[in-house]
Amino acid sequence: MTSWEAGTTAQTVPASLIPRPRPAPDPLRGVAAGTDPWWMDTMDAVIRTCAAHGRTDLAERLARRRARLLHPQLRVLVAGTAQQGRSRLVNALINAPACGLLPDADTPVATVVHHADTPVAHLIMRDSVDADWTAAVGLQARIPLTPDRLAASLAEATATLPAGAPVHVDIGVPRSLLAGGLVLIDAPALSPEAGDQAIIAARDLADQAGADLVLYACEAGRRLSDAELTLLAGLGQIFPGLLVVLTKADYAPDWRRDLAESRIRLNQAGIPAAVAAVSSSLRQHAVRTGDEALNRESGFTDLLVHLRRMAEDKPDRLARATAGALGRLALQELAVPLRTELENQDAAGSSDAVAHLQATHRRLDDLRKCTVRWQNKLSDEVADLMSDIEHDLREGVKKLLAEADEFFTTNDPAKSWDEFEPWLSQSVQDLTQTSVSWLAERTEWMARRTAGMFPPEAGDVLPSTALAITDGSSLSDLSTLDAPPVATFTPGQKLFIGLRGSYGGVVMFGLATSLAGMSLINPISIGGGALFGGKSVRDESKTLLKRRQTEARNAVRQHVDDIFAKLNKDARDSVRQAQRALRDHFTAVTEDMQEDAMESLRNAKAAADRDAAAREAHNRRLREELARLADLHTQAQALTERARA
Amino acid sequence: MISDELERRTHDLLMRAAQVYRGHPHADPRLRHTVERFTGPLRLAVAGAARTGKSTLVNALVGETVAPVGQADFVTYRDGTQPRAWRHPEHGRPYEVPVARTADGLRLGLDAAAPRAVVQWPSRVLRRTELIDTGPSLTPARILPETDAVLLLTPRIAEPDLDFLRAGRGLRGPAAYPVHALVVQSRADTHGDGLPDGLLEARRAARRRRREPLIASLCQDVVAVSPLIGHAARTLRDDEFLALAAIAALPRADADPHLLSTDRFTAAGALPVVDPRTRIELLRRFGLGGIRLALALVRTGAGTTAALGERLHEYSGLKDLQTSIAELFVARRAALKARSALIVLDHLLRTERLPASAQLLAELELLLAGAHDFTEMRLLSALRSGRVALPAETAREAQRLLGGAGTSLGERLGLPTEATVDDIWAVAEDSAERWSREAGSGERTPAQRRAAAVVLRSCEAILADGTVPAS
Repeated sequence: MTSWEAGTTAQTVPASLIPRPRPAPDPLRGVAAGTDPWWMDTMDAVIRTCAAHGRTDLAERLARRRARLLHPQLRVLVAGTAQQGRSRLVNALINAPACGLLPDADTPVATVVHHADTPVAHLIMRDSVDADWTAAVGLQARIPLTPDRLAASLAEATATLPAGAPVHVDIGVPRSLLAGGLVLIDAPALSPEAGDQAIIAARDLADQAGADLVLYACEAGRRLSDAELTLLAGLGQIFPGLLVVLTKADYAPDWRRDLAESRIRLNQAGIPAAVAAVSSSLRQHAVRTGDEALNRESGFTDLLVHLRRMAEDKPDRLARATAGALGRLALQELAVPLRTELENQDAAGSSDAVAHLQATHRRLDDLRKCTVRWQNKLSDEVADLMSDIEHDLREGVKKLLAEADEFFTTNDPAKSWDEFEPWLSQSVQDLTQTSVSWLAERTEWMARRTAGMFPPEAGDVLPSTALAITDGSSLSDLSTLDAPPVATFTPGQKLFIGLRGSYGGVVMFGLATSLAGMSLINPISIGGGALFGGKSVRDESKTLLKRRQTEARNAVRQHVDDIFAKLNKDARDSVRQAQRALRDHFTAVTEDMQEDAMESLRNAKAAADRDAAAREAHNRRLREELARLADLHTQAQALTERARA
Repeated sequence: MISDELERRTHDLLMRAAQVYRGHPHADPRLRHTVERFTGPLRLAVAGAARTGKSTLVNALVGETVAPVGQADFVTYRDGTQPRAWRHPEHGRPYEVPVARTADGLRLGLDAAAPRAVVQWPSRVLRRTELIDTGPSLTPARILPETDAVLLLTPRIAEPDLDFLRAGRGLRGPAAYPVHALVVQSRADTHGDGLPDGLLEARRAARRRRREPLIASLCQDVVAVSPLIGHAARTLRDDEFLALAAIAALPRADADPHLLSTDRFTAAGALPVVDPRTRIELLRRFGLGGIRLALALVRTGAGTTAALGERLHEYSGLKDLQTSIAELFVARRAALKARSALIVLDHLLRTERLPASAQLLAELELLLAGAHDFTEMRLLSALRSGRVALPAETAREAQRLLGGAGTSLGERLGLPTEATVDDIWAVAEDSAERWSREAGSGERTPAQRRAAAVVLRSCEAILADGTVPAS
């Protein structure tokens, strides 16, 4: 069983376990080639960086590993799932029944085997589950076991302890293999099915046990499961010397095929692990019978050479490889938050300040548009108002005139002027009042409509003082209308016209009666003359009434027209005034707002500039930090490469 | 009888459900499928991870080399008058394929990618039980609805196996008792370095495991088996026996060094009495542990092929497994089939609601509440595994009354077939009285009293059953 080639990706372990001459001293390493402080420098730098990044947990862990790397012992953790021959592997290595003593228990009690001049065994009770196994414990925490009857005394000792107590067995045996500082740890079974949890658990276990090297035991004749490969990948990252040992190779009919298959699977998964096949039972048998050939067949001779060489190489190659791997891993872990932050910044693009700046810009634009809008609105409203007012006045006047006409069709202006005049002046007053109040209302409304054109954030922009509206006082000189000069029908006139009319009658009746022999002037002719005279007077008086009425109407029309013209002018003037007042007011408001907006724009611009500068600086810091990490990473990588050389 | 009653009532319920769901797009085909299954033989699936010996165990159980048959995830072996095989593609109708027999098992022609195959093979073993060889990639959710009982193969019981068992054990209804599962620790021959004692050690370990509450609550039994040795034992040939006998005849000092490892056993210069090719073939068939065991058995007196086969059969644990299957599964196939049907029915009635399903569901609950079979099966398993300890004589009687030796009336009471009704009555009444005393006895532990109450209930069922022919 000497087939020992490591896979192509098995970078950190030698391709063969046959010892090679030590490589020539590295010129870069300087004179002190035996102790290589270079890895310590890198590791210290990484630890400092971890601390600087606030990852004290990482720093602590690395510091612990650093301390372990400086320790002369090489602690080998024999891990694996249950019943894969871990304990027997350790037993066969040291050729003593030290592990797996409790029957059917899958090694719940871990065993640490190290060198001692005389066989000695203790059950160590650790302070807590997380406690370091290598930490010194007091006498009370060490229960001595009898090395001759280890199994029985261990069973007795564990029976007194509560279940699940953090204990391990510490065994010292006089073996030349271990004399070089090799320590073997038979770990409790791992359960790779748990996924990421399993990796964390395995790393914690290895960390607490103070392992420098991990041997993963897996029985031959069984495939490494996918979960196990994931676990191995996780372990391989922090334990460069990872070695997968196929146990029970004596029993599997096709262990060579299994070996090749495992190697291929590990290669494909990119796990830098070497694979070896051993048979513990052959080794035990060989040791019992002293059969050297069988011992070689068991594959243990090569494993022992490998372990011994690893122990020798620990301060040199293994330390460098471990420091390199750990450093790289830690740095990658540190780089992750930085990189995400950087990406987030790039992705997020704009900060609050920039958003504020944009919003301010938008507000200014809005304001500009609003100015145009309210001006248009105001002029539209004024035009509407003017036409409305004129139309209303005209309607009112028309109505007034119609009523006046009506009045004078029946009444005699000469008699009822006194009655008519107050009505007219009252009506005109009413018209004026209505028009003025309506004008005021409309102007108010117009102001409101125009104010509505402003953006809501401008607040209340209505003018506070009431608009000056003409109250129609200018009409006072026109409010009264004198009675039109009318032709009066005096009694003299009446007499004259009566006489003129009666003449015809007297003559007509005098002639007719003269035929009858009567005189021209007789009572009958006088009666006829009186009849005719009366009619003439009545006719004349009717004609005069008509003329008076027409005159009165004309006078009223004239008067009302004057009033209309006056009112209309007043209304137009007030509207214009109001328009002017509103325009001035709103222009002032707009100017104020623009001023404000400009001010906040200036502020926002300054803030955005400041922010951009700050971000730029932060970005630069992040990039610098990342570059520094990359630099350290390169150093760590160089360590790994040098360890490989 | 109790089982008959369960079977009859289940069948009744199935029929009524089929009537209610007639024409229903999902439920109708499923119910028809279930009714068809219900009347067929017991379906026993062999499940487990890759390389746990599933096919080898199927071969060992059949006693012939039938598996493997090529790329199919789900191969059903059933009895028939002549070897035939069908492939069931994912979509479409099954089609028959030619079968060829090779030394490694059957080969089906037209190795198209059909996930299912059915093989008909004339065998007495398959008459009452169909064996199903499942692929390692199948999840429990795909295996369990297709089977009545499961043999779960595992090198050692770990969390994924427990998950598999938990998936089979439902929270409620007919699935609450894990009466359908049996765990097989299938690498028994590698125990203790593959020395003959290792097998015994593995069986002792399995007995310890089955008493563990966690595992006991999830399966009926844990059996340690070496499928490889079992299969070799059942198909042992004379030439193999002769080769083994020739090696066994060598002085141990000459033979033993060559038995230390597989390399040594197959090395060209080793053991000149048997030629290397035969040795390689022996190793393939028996494994190193099997060869060591066979040699030890030949040396201690197994002088013929038959005798060696018999003793290997026993040592491999296969015999135990067969007994377990016979007692826990085959004898109780009526109850197991009823259980599978009821699980389907329970699910259907809950998911596809119709006005009539509430009534059916109530009847199903009633049926389950009175189903004493599952309780009997759990107690039988507990008695077998020693989770409940009774004095030897009492335990034997309890097992008999619970139907461990057969579920017929005579078998339960231990009476010959010609016993009269009066005999049956007398014996049954006597048993009922005795167990009623046991159930109330203050000397017994609570677990024993609970067990006695279950047995008493069985006795009462027998009495109730016995009165029917008498009246």
